[in-house]
Amino acid sequence: MASPQELSDFLSSVEQRAFKQAVYAVRDDDAALDIVQDAMIKLAEKYGDRPASELPLVFTRILQNRIHDWFRRQKVRNTWVTLFSNMGKKSDENDDFDPLESLSAPDDSEIHQDGAFKLERTQLLESLESEISKLPARQREAFLMRYWDELSITETALAMSCSEGSVKTHCSRATQALAKALKLKGITL
Amino acid sequence: MNRNQDILNPTEVDQFGLTAAALLREGSQSLPAGIKDRLYAARLKAISVKKPEKVRIQQHVLANITGNWSSGSRPFWDKVGWIAPLIVLVFGLIGIAQWQQDSRINDIAELDVALLTDDVPPDAYADSGFMGFLKNGPLADAEQDSLDSSKSPS
Repeated sequence: MASPQELSDFLSSVEQRAFKQAVYAVRDDDAALDIVQDAMIKLAEKYGDRPASELPLVFTRILQNRIHDWFRRQKVRNTWVTLFSNMGKKSDENDDFDPLESLSAPDDSEIHQDGAFKLERTQLLESLESEISKLPARQREAFLMRYWDELSITETALAMSCSEGSVKTHCSRATQALAKALKLKGITL
Repeated sequence: MNRNQDILNPTEVDQFGLTAAALLREGSQSLPAGIKDRLYAARLKAISVKKPEKVRIQQHVLANITGNWSSGSRPFWDKVGWIAPLIVLVFGLIGIAQWQQDSRINDIAELDVALLTDDVPPDAYADSGFMGFLKNGPLADAEQDSLDSSKSPS
C-alpha cells in the first residue's frame, strides 16, 4: 500500500511528463493542467491504497482516459458552439487581443549557457513536440507510453486496452512518421 | 504503412524512440514556473484526498483447548452471518411449496381412489338423470324407510 509520501514522490516524478503528454494531445496548457489535476485526484481518491509499484500503470491509464473524456466533451461543446455561433456572430470581439502579451519571457537563469547549442536543442524539441502533436492519437499514446513512460509492450497494451501486436504497429508507425517528418525539416536524431 | 517507405529498420526504430524520449524528458524539466506551481498545487490537492488506508480493527481472540489462538476468520463469519439466514429462508420457502404440492396431489389421489372403487361408475355423477333417480327413485324411498324405522320406538 502506497504511503502518502510514496504517492507524493510518484506524482512529483510524473506530473511534468503527464502535463506534456496532455499538452501534445489537447494543445492547450490550461486544459492539460486540468486533465493532469483530475488524473492525480482520481488516482489518490480511488487507487491511493494500491501498492506503489502499481501506480505508474494505473496513472497512465487514468491520464489517457481523462484525455479521451476531454475530447468527448469538446466534441459536444463544439456542436453547440457551432450551432449558436451562426445565430449571433460578432467578428470583432477579439480585435484587442495582442499575441505578444501571451508570450512568456525566457528564463534568464540560463543566459550564460552556450546560446547556439541551447537554441538548437530548443528548436529540435519544438519540432519534435510539434510532430508528436500531429500524430494520430493512438500512435502518440503508444509511442509516449513505450519510450517516455518506459512501459513494456504488455503494460502498454494493458493501458491502451489493445493487443501487443497493435502496440508494436502503433509504435513503429509513429516512429517512422516522426523520423520522416523531421528528416523533411533536415533533422536527424 | 508501406514497408518500402520505412526509413528506419526495427533496431533504428527503438533507437529513435529512446533518443526522442530523452529529448522530451529534458524539455519537460524546463516548464514555466507558473505551470510548475499549478502542478504542485494539484499534487497537494490530490494527496489531501488520498484514499485512507484500511485500518485493521483488533478483534478479541480467545484461546481454544489446544492453546492455539483463533483469529483471522472473522470476515468469513461476517459474510456467513447474513448469507446463512437468507439461504435458510430460501430453502424453507422451497420446502413449504413442495409440501403443499404433495398434499394437493395426495388429496386428488384419495378422491380418485374413492371414485374408482365405488360401485357407481364415475360417469354416472355427470348424468343429471342419475341425480334425479337418487332423489326420487326407489333408492330414496328405501332410505326414507330406513330413517323412519330408526326414529320409531321399537
